[in-house]
Amino acid sequence: MIDCTHYRRAMLAQPHDADPELGEHRASCHDCNLFTERLLRFESSFERALRVALPNPSPASDRVVPLPAKSSRAALRLQRLGRGWLAMAASVLVVVAVAGALWLSVSGPSLAADVVTHMAGEPQAWRRTDVPVPAPALLDVLRDSHLRLAAGAGLVSYASSCRFRGHRVPHLVVQTDSGPVTVMVLVHEQAPKSVQFDEQGYRGVIVPVPGHGSLAVLTQGAAEMETIEQIAHRVLDSIVWTG
Amino acid sequence: MKDQVGGNHKRARFQALCQSLRPDLLRFAFWLSRDRALAEDVVQETMLRAWKAQDSLLDEAAAKPWFLTIIRREYARTFERKRFATVDVDELVAREEPMLAAGDEQNLAELRAALFKLPDEYREPLVLQVLMGFSTAEIARELGLSGAAVLTRLFRARKQLRALCGEDTSLDPQE
Repeated sequence: MIDCTHYRRAMLAQPHDADPELGEHRASCHDCNLFTERLLRFESSFERALRVALPNPSPASDRVVPLPAKSSRAALRLQRLGRGWLAMAASVLVVVAVAGALWLSVSGPSLAADVVTHMAGEPQAWRRTDVPVPAPALLDVLRDSHLRLAAGAGLVSYASSCRFRGHRVPHLVVQTDSGPVTVMVLVHEQAPKSVQFDEQGYRGVIVPVPGHGSLAVLTQGAAEMETIEQIAHRVLDSIVWTG
Repeated sequence: MKDQVGGNHKRARFQALCQSLRPDLLRFAFWLSRDRALAEDVVQETMLRAWKAQDSLLDEAAAKPWFLTIIRREYARTFERKRFATVDVDELVAREEPMLAAGDEQNLAELRAALFKLPDEYREPLVLQVLMGFSTAEIARELGLSGAAVLTRLFRARKQLRALCGEDTSLDPQE
């Protein structure tokens, strides 16, 4: 049987440790439960803090693979044929393409990455349960985002108003046949198109909501993307905007 | 012709691998060195060394720790070459302010500055665990420590970091 000191030492070393003994202790100890909530909140911020936005790379410094000798020979042959301009144009295109690809890959954490990082800070939300969150608590969480949920969304087992990218957003867990599904209503985040992601054990989608930002829906397992998309649209259909 | 196609394919795969890992590797190098320019140099050099030694990477799934080991070696080499003078952490924070800034999220900027103040021996395992997703055993292997030593460092790292950030640590255990 572990004591509070052992529990807290273990959690400070590995906040996401899934050891059942730790879970049992936490469930039976009010102070350790409080300690864990504080620690996981801090951990969530810390995870985001580590993901500093990266500067745009210069094309010259990012050619990580030396150009093949064959390409040089081809360019020379082109020059000999009096088509040096073609080689130059091709080079410019390559540089632009590489710079564009690299810019896309390092232009800071994506919305999906931030959503996933946020999830990691609230592991307690991922419980499979048939106990709904009390209706007044759910209304409180949704009110600030000017929405309410119609019955079609499914059983909401968790509702929290979370700080995300500088705004308070509703973080809900809906129980589905595919297990618990997390929904974040991101009224401040515009998404130009639907994006699927599969990061750090989370699979999900971010779908645009015209006039109301976007909706992130994710699962912690191997659900099919098609299923996740269906859940996202079911939740979206059940949202009633009140402002 | 066949060789050229194979070479191009190999090159394209390697380029794609580098591009996918580069953001996290750059971030890791930044937190390791606390110097953006140096981090970029180290990662660039790492990519070139990795390209030359790519045959030693037998499994692409193991690419992340493989690159990371090269980064740590490269950083150590740079450190040996340049023989940096003792640094004033406040100066480092001021110099890297653009990287540490977090828009209107002041708490993130403070957290980043606090992380700069953690000793290397605590900062590195913490970054490996949280940013790179390494397990305790992987961190132990990378740093040449025992699992117990890694857990102790992680415990102390979080304890110090939380205190530096002014968190309520009244429930934290003593050493």
